[in-house]
Formats: sequence, C-alpha cells, structure tokens
Amino acid sequence: MNEKNILMKKIQQYDFTLKELNLYLDTHPYCRNALAMFAKYRKLRESAVTEYTRKFGIITPEQNTNLESWDWIDDPFPWERS
Amino acid sequence: MNLNLFDDMEGLILRERENSLAMNTPQNSEVYRHGMSEFPENAPLAMAYVPFQQWGETYNPDNALECGTLFPNLVFSFRGGGDK
Repeated sequence: MNEKNILMKKIQQYDFTLKELNLYLDTHPYCRNALAMFAKYRKLRESAVTEYTRKFGIITPEQNTNLESWDWIDDPFPWERS
Repeated sequence: MNLNLFDDMEGLILRERENSLAMNTPQNSEVYRHGMSEFPENAPLAMAYVPFQQWGETYNPDNALECGTLFPNLVFSFRGGGDK
C-alpha cells in the first residue's frame, strides 16, 4: 500500500471509531472513558485529514480554501486515488 | 413460577442504566462487583431482555473497522444455518 492509501485507510479507521463512540455516547452521555476516547480520536482524525489534504488534495468539497480556483474538480477524485 | 422477579423490573432497568452511566472507578462500581449485568440469574423464560451496554474493552481503530464494531463485547460469531 502506498502512503496515500495508508493515510486514507487511517482516516477511515478513525471515522469508524468516532462513529462507534458517537453511538455509544448517545445512550451513555456521561461516560468519561468514551468522552476521553472520542476527544483522542477526533484529534488523530483531524491531523490525519490535514496531512492527507496537504499531500494529496482535498477529500470533501467544503475543504476547498483556495479563493482562486475550485480544487474539488481537480482529477483524480478522492475515490479514484490509489 | 416466581413472578417476584418482575416486581422491581423497572428498578432493575434503571440500575442497569445507572451502572452504565456511573463514573465510578472500576474497583468500587456495581458492575465490577456483579459482573456485566444486574439481571437475575434465573430470569424467567420467554421474556425479552436487552442488557444495557457497559463500558469495557475496546479495539484499536484498525481492528474496529475490521470487526465492524469498536467493542469486543459486541462481536458474535453468527453463522447462517448453524455450525455446518
């Protein structure tokens, strides 16, 4: 697996972990263990996304910060990158 | 059949939920002293129970995505058609 794929896989893993914690916290809103874990993986996801975006381009349209061009339509699209 | 078990079913469910919400340290929490569940050992037949999930072991993100859940407690080896 190249760096791009490894990084994308990591983001997907963090996303899944955060979704699982989200569902758990919906019914256990005061569980400090889950809250701490959510905070931890939110940060890890954030830095993984930042790194991916910096190296390989944006993943979702709202990440476009360029005021001169709409980077979202730059080929390849995220699901075509490998 | 002993229906006394149901007299405090509401309390039982409340305690289950409270346990799971408790911010106690593991050593003095109800859950740890009594195991996973407060439901009676000889729960009556033909009644449906949904034990309230308690915090426990978690997978790392890699294994979580692989297993389809963050919680090892929720991994069941369901096999369609049994043990063929």
